[in-house]
Amino acid sequence: MSDDAQGATSATLTTILARWSPVGRSGLLPALIEAQDAYGWLSEETLAQIANGLDVPLSEAFGVADFYAHLYTHPVGNKIVRVCDDVPCYLAGSEKICAAVEKQLQIREGETTPDGAFTYEIVPCLGHCDHGPVVMIGKDVHENVTEEQIDNLTKRAKDAK
Amino acid sequence: METKLITTNLGVANPESIDDYIARGGYRALRQVTSEMSSPQMIETLKAAGLIGRGGAAFPTALKYELAVKAEVTRPWPAPLTVPALYRRSSAFVICNADESETGTFKDRLLMEGDPFRILEGMAIAAFITGATNGFIYLRGEYALAYERLSRAIDAARARGFLGERILRDEGSRSLTPSLDFDVEIRRGAGAYICGEETALFESIEGRRGEPRVKPPFPTDAGLFRRPTVINNVETFANIPFIALKGAEAYRQYGTAKSPGSRVVCVSGHVKRPGAYEIAMGMPLRQVIDELAGGLRDGRRLQAVLIGGAAGVFLRPDEIDVPLDFQSLAAVGATFGSGAIMVMDDTADLGGVLRRLARFFKDESCGKCFPCQLGTQRQYEIIRDPERFRIASGLLHELGATMRDASLCGLGQTASSAILSALDKGLMKI
Amino acid sequence: MPDITLTIDGQTITVPEGTTILQAAQQIEKQVPTICYHPHFTAPSLCRMCVVEVEKSRVLVQACSRACENGMVVRTDTPRVQQARKMILELLSSAVDVSEAPEIQEYMRQYGADAQRFGDAARRDLPMHDDNPFYIRDYSKCILCWRCVQACGEDVQWTFAISRAGRGFETRIATFFDKPIPESTCVYCGNCVQACPTGALKPKREFWIETGRDVSELVRHSRLEKRRRKRDK
Repeated sequence: MSDDAQGATSATLTTILARWSPVGRSGLLPALIEAQDAYGWLSEETLAQIANGLDVPLSEAFGVADFYAHLYTHPVGNKIVRVCDDVPCYLAGSEKICAAVEKQLQIREGETTPDGAFTYEIVPCLGHCDHGPVVMIGKDVHENVTEEQIDNLTKRAKDAK
Repeated sequence: METKLITTNLGVANPESIDDYIARGGYRALRQVTSEMSSPQMIETLKAAGLIGRGGAAFPTALKYELAVKAEVTRPWPAPLTVPALYRRSSAFVICNADESETGTFKDRLLMEGDPFRILEGMAIAAFITGATNGFIYLRGEYALAYERLSRAIDAARARGFLGERILRDEGSRSLTPSLDFDVEIRRGAGAYICGEETALFESIEGRRGEPRVKPPFPTDAGLFRRPTVINNVETFANIPFIALKGAEAYRQYGTAKSPGSRVVCVSGHVKRPGAYEIAMGMPLRQVIDELAGGLRDGRRLQAVLIGGAAGVFLRPDEIDVPLDFQSLAAVGATFGSGAIMVMDDTADLGGVLRRLARFFKDESCGKCFPCQLGTQRQYEIIRDPERFRIASGLLHELGATMRDASLCGLGQTASSAILSALDKGLMKI
Repeated sequence: MPDITLTIDGQTITVPEGTTILQAAQQIEKQVPTICYHPHFTAPSLCRMCVVEVEKSRVLVQACSRACENGMVVRTDTPRVQQARKMILELLSSAVDVSEAPEIQEYMRQYGADAQRFGDAARRDLPMHDDNPFYIRDYSKCILCWRCVQACGEDVQWTFAISRAGRGFETRIATFFDKPIPESTCVYCGNCVQACPTGALKPKREFWIETGRDVSELVRHSRLEKRRRKRDK
């Protein structure tokens, strides 16, 4: 989404700021998370509005956004495909899943598909260790994932909202 | 085989029904506490029960609450303007650390998804003890279902008067004791393991980068917004209603003298039945693996067990008769940590495991203190390409010792423990 | 407030409550090395160079911000402490250009730190920013001691032009979205430049002298710039 698109839908931002400005700076992370959910990433404009709305210095708001792995200050795919490659999932065969995702989406770790549908990340433990390998697409967590399922999972995720 | 004290509702009760929770005995503890007990009495009960924190630090819970109560008396009142107005009234804060991000750990997720009211009840009792009016659940961002279940549970609890003002105080009551006012807010994380460290968690809630603070001061003296704070793990809060209702002696029927009660362990890796199991403290690790988790896959041999999480320690096959309680594990140089038990049979590539452990700490280091910010990066480089470094093993040991001794927080202090234990026990050579 | 009595390296000393171990050590003329600590700023306690052994403490304790307690037994220079300090210096010099940090160079000599210990490991070769008339920012020299951020922020200026961004080894000092300094709230007070211990922040004039440029051009450069901007408005 372009900066303009984010600025234009400021009704959402107004709602977010109304909810969190009563607690001032303490509302920064929740506001950033909600804006990230709404807009897909945090543009300069969005971050500046949030910072000003909560009385946080611009540089510090940027420093907070840049600290957290799930907040993005640059455009990313509509859905993030997060493959766990931590110890238990590794023992369950996550390497094959990583390879399958790379083959399916034709991108490497950290990259975004040309159509903007997916960004692919390798992530640490997602907390579903008894059912690895585990893949998270958007907010949905998929357990016991096989290589054969990757095609289907990504197609369904693309079609879903 | 399993000892069910706190997981009795999992998979049986409807987690979205407060009536189910009540029908199965829920909120009787809170009712009893608010109507019949005093804060000092509850602290004594927790002390007698010997409840120890279940997040990994293993701190005695009663002592934590006692220190917070003492601090509230000595801290200047009212709270300064640096505390947001909405929270300024709270003389202390009760925080549930639901950031569960330790490798191999999923028990808190199951408790939150399957029995959210139990956690709210435990927090309310903690609020009663400490006089807190505001509580927070810091929940890792990836746990979307837990967020839904907890949000709904909070709404339902409010609607029924188990959260909010004058909890369980009847209309027209003439009780002279102050009523319990307590409400809970969920604060989500955004992908930072370090925010499970208590002081980094406070920084995160306060709207800053999750960079830990030095201790002292400890949270009970100066925690969230620099006010007295009790912060406990999800499982710890889940233990409190049982102890409050049934009493210390009933709790001590389970477990060992120094590690009473139960523990929810998370078994994963090369076993037939990975999963979360609530056991009595003191059950031997071998029994957990062979009987509860179904043992190894057919035809396989045990290579190693990683216990405690990424911040834990490797055990050799000849070491798995160790009883699972805090003291027995400490005696063999291991740690219970988050309760994670990762089983590796002979097909496991330990080199790949160590690389992932090293990568984990490098990726999650906050970047504040030098030993960890630089050391976790170097540890990863050495593990990945040991031949690039002179006397890699010696260098790794010295580096690990420095991180352990001089890092500012627990992440740096434990970043090398699993890796060095694998090398020292001959499970891997570099 | 009652006084505190403690022992440092076998010597007993009595200090007012609230005194840090570092302050107490300085009182009895014990040298404790520090890098990030600066008397004018809130001690960030992050370099860990000032760590000392405190009896009954499992880990080493930073002297710069730890308050003295009654009966504390402190040892400032044990093998465990020396090993940690040496390793910290080796780690630092393996990642960052500390050639213009005289204090750190002296510590490296003192503790026998080997700058080549980690061979060709990854360095933080961050770019140099030359985007304003007053100072340059050469982040390949930045040790992330936080002093500049503190100076720009709550400890001195309350301008908040810079903060920390990124995480872990890739942490860096940054403006809002890494914009050039003139587009930030920087008021060119120079406090950050003064506080920087490694030359990462350096006055433009000094940088031009070092690199052989004609300093008088600096003045003309800014005047020219002003005129050009006025003309182009």
